[in-house]
Amino acid sequence: MNQADVSKLVSKLKIKVNPRLRKFRNAEGPLGRLKKLRKTVTALVKHERIELNYPRADEARMYAERLISEAIRYGDCHKTTMELADFWLEEKQLVHKLFKVLVPRFQDYNVSYTHMYRAPRPYPGPMHKKAVLELRGNPYPSLLPDMISNRNLIHNVLLDEAKKEYRAQKYAEIAAKIESAENQFIGKADTSSNTSNEEIATSEKSRVKDAEGSISESSEINKVQDDKK
Amino acid sequence: MNTSLFLGKQALPKFSKCNITKTLHKRFFANVSEESKQQSELFRFESKRQREAVGRIEKIEVKYEGPPEESTLMMNKYLSTPYDCAKHLGEIVANRSAVALVNGETLWHMHKPLEDSCSIQLLHYNIPQPAAVNKTYWRSCSFLLGAVINNCFKDNVNVQLHSFPSPNVRSGSFIYDAQLSLDNWMPTETELRVLSAEMVKFCRQNNPIECLNVDADFALLVFKNNPHKTQQIPSIAASNKGRVTLFKVGHHIDISRGPMITNTSHLGRITIANVFKLNTDIPGGPIYRFQGVSLPYSIVLNHVAYSILENRAKKLNPARIPGLHGVSDEDGSFVKHAVA
Repeated sequence: MNQADVSKLVSKLKIKVNPRLRKFRNAEGPLGRLKKLRKTVTALVKHERIELNYPRADEARMYAERLISEAIRYGDCHKTTMELADFWLEEKQLVHKLFKVLVPRFQDYNVSYTHMYRAPRPYPGPMHKKAVLELRGNPYPSLLPDMISNRNLIHNVLLDEAKKEYRAQKYAEIAAKIESAENQFIGKADTSSNTSNEEIATSEKSRVKDAEGSISESSEINKVQDDKK
Repeated sequence: MNTSLFLGKQALPKFSKCNITKTLHKRFFANVSEESKQQSELFRFESKRQREAVGRIEKIEVKYEGPPEESTLMMNKYLSTPYDCAKHLGEIVANRSAVALVNGETLWHMHKPLEDSCSIQLLHYNIPQPAAVNKTYWRSCSFLLGAVINNCFKDNVNVQLHSFPSPNVRSGSFIYDAQLSLDNWMPTETELRVLSAEMVKFCRQNNPIECLNVDADFALLVFKNNPHKTQQIPSIAASNKGRVTLFKVGHHIDISRGPMITNTSHLGRITIANVFKLNTDIPGGPIYRFQGVSLPYSIVLNHVAYSILENRAKKLNPARIPGLHGVSDEDGSFVKHAVA
């Protein structure tokens, strides 16, 4: 059977999509639901970080992600995408923001374009779960505590020391390699005077190069720390 | 070797859920030795006696500096602790505070009564200069490791806790040196995992760590069955005006100059990474060095980075190896000066 490859028709989102959509029951029916979500998507694009009830945030996030990914995929000269943007963004100046600000910002991202956090609910107060929905790369300070830049925190102290120890171990290995190469060189020079000194020198150089290569490859710990960021 | 060294593990029959729950239930209460119970009873009596000896209650003025706001509290002399102050300031402050800083210079255990009007700061793990807190945390980890070692072995293994050296976070692992009646024990991966799990379970009981300053005679009475501690107490007391600081968690009591963290609930990830046999001249059996690594609950680290820390903690910690002579004064488990 000739079945269409779905990923070519619809852009694949980088967030988990709910298998069942929430109804958000209201007098206007499904259109009313979309109108509600439209308000939220517009607010998200406008303010870049909003706090709202969890179900609405979760639902609107999917539409916002879809909108941005379509905009990146087809650009602003695509009629359908422009209609989509026209529908989802109630304030029309935000259509410009979508194509001129958000598309350049997100086009190289290989993660989701939005970020959602669970937020505390006021106590005492209504029992609804709250969430914070934000666009990545927004200009506000991060909501999560910064655990990286302060190197005096206990995990950073431990990681830094581990890194130092790893470095020291690698340098010791390199030193041992060079030493063994030197020993070989002296040994060879003593036994066989036929071998030209130049050849041995080049072989030694290559050994040293190998060793240097190994230390540059082996900066795993560095990488891990960067990942953490 | 298998895990049968440890309490309760042998008794687990396979495929019978009912039996497992029964055994676990029994295990939870049975693993406190009679000796520990007596020790903790003594501790309780002494702390009660000290509380009653306060007599007429006087008020002191405690100035709190720090978030949420600076405030002045009227507290009771020799009765109120920094933790009591923290409770006035809110649950978040009370739960996260690891150690108090009195008058901006003395580190003060959170459950130790304040002795005069003073200003206090409550330190936690995520502050700009957390070196003192880290050290306190590391010391507490050693102390708790001692509690776990004391509790988790079966009766046929004789365990005598020796001491733990001054906490050094940079060394990558916290340590406890203990004497076991086992020759050439090389712990397997499973045994280490069981030990780690025991420590996690112990810390989940959320026991507060209590503190008591006693005289040397009382300390000798508490540790009458431990030859190492009995030997250490006189020199500790001599360097601290005849007093010894005891710390208690659950039913376990140990000597340390302190301070410790507030509660075992502060410990997040815990791994007991390795156990080494040490070369020492201490009589009565081989001394083993237990090593572990841990992070506070408020610090979340991904498992890749944490595994780097675990692997490092598997190497022998270069801290001073205890010997028959020379109870050195750098040793953190002994009272050097009253900072607790």
